[in-house]
Amino acid sequence: MTRRLGIVITLSCLLGLIVVEWVGGNPPDPFQAPDPMAWGSVEGASGAICTFAPGAE
Amino acid sequence: MLGALAVSAGVRFALLLGLGLLIGYSLERFGFGFAGPWRRMILKREPDGLIAQLVAIGLASVLIQPLIASSDGLLGAIAPVSLTMIMGAAVFGFAMQIVLGCGSGTLVNAGTGNLVAMMTLPLFCVGSFVGSLLVPAAIASTPHLPVSLPEIFGVPGALAVTGAGLIGVGVLAAWRGQGTLWNRRLLTAAVILAALAGLHVLVAGQPWGVVYGLGLWAAKGAVWLGWNPELSAFWSHPINAAALSQSILTDTTSLTSLGLVGGAALAAWRVSTSQALVPGLAPWIFVIVAVAGFMLGVSSRLAFGCNVGGLFSGIASGSLHGWAWLVAGFIGSVYGVQAREWLWKQASVVHA
Repeated sequence: MTRRLGIVITLSCLLGLIVVEWVGGNPPDPFQAPDPMAWGSVEGASGAICTFAPGAE
Repeated sequence: MLGALAVSAGVRFALLLGLGLLIGYSLERFGFGFAGPWRRMILKREPDGLIAQLVAIGLASVLIQPLIASSDGLLGAIAPVSLTMIMGAAVFGFAMQIVLGCGSGTLVNAGTGNLVAMMTLPLFCVGSFVGSLLVPAAIASTPHLPVSLPEIFGVPGALAVTGAGLIGVGVLAAWRGQGTLWNRRLLTAAVILAALAGLHVLVAGQPWGVVYGLGLWAAKGAVWLGWNPELSAFWSHPINAAALSQSILTDTTSLTSLGLVGGAALAAWRVSTSQALVPGLAPWIFVIVAVAGFMLGVSSRLAFGCNVGGLFSGIASGSLHGWAWLVAGFIGSVYGVQAREWLWKQASVVHA
């Protein structure tokens, strides 16, 4: 067994995650898509970021 | 693939996945990382990888800080400094040396079919979710002080302080190190990474991160198993509740993390048939790896980011917590390198 199998397994798992979530009733809605770039747009950062610290502001 | 995502979700999300692919491909193609260069600095006193990291962070700061200051909708990777944050960074530094993969490194390594990283990643996700549940208690129990250098000194002053700090660390690494300081391959990767980090802020409105998305994936799994996010102060916050209710194909860190894996897979595909999937190690080492993966997840949440969101994007955004992360993470890595040396030696002996 080579790492090629590992690549296939990893990508399959991630693809499975996307598919399960999609068919589980949570597909993206293209009609709610933000502007292509946050810079210069009123639809800026989502704020869902690793440094998110609720209550520490 | 990118076109389909642009149509089904939006152009911004396709661009983010594309940036993730480019970052993952570049990291793997150029052999640029965080845990490995720290290990080489600690074990062999080779500073070139660490200096390339500093160059990447410095260039990214020059791009990111003025961008964020130029628009109200853009957000820096600013997080508080605290005792639990520092402890989290130290534990992360320790654990990333055990598995020899940081936040980005674990994704890239998993993308290349590295079995250790493949075992690490799921527990990393679970740990990140568990860590997110602990964040509100950590914030309530110890003082957490967000310090933004651009807010204190203005962008020019913050860039000067950031640059001086990076040069100071570089001089220290050069003084303590042996061998070449400037590695052309790694410096090329540093320039590419900084450019992609700047593009990430333009598109996403916030700096590159990894850990948030991994915790989000596990949180979605927990909801599927019956967990009520309303019971969590972290996940009931409107920003996180929105992320939880929407597709991961519209979550910034999820998209770049998926891209990182895919980009690394593309870069490693051709040579992957010449490398064995299963390393010659005793099976028990994978239990250690799984525990270390869990530690990576919990600690990176408490540290407000891994080497990417906390260290790279934190320092580049002008957040003091990025500097605290650097010091604590490196101290943790010193012990982590020693622990890995011992563990891998034992695993190899038993296997033989």
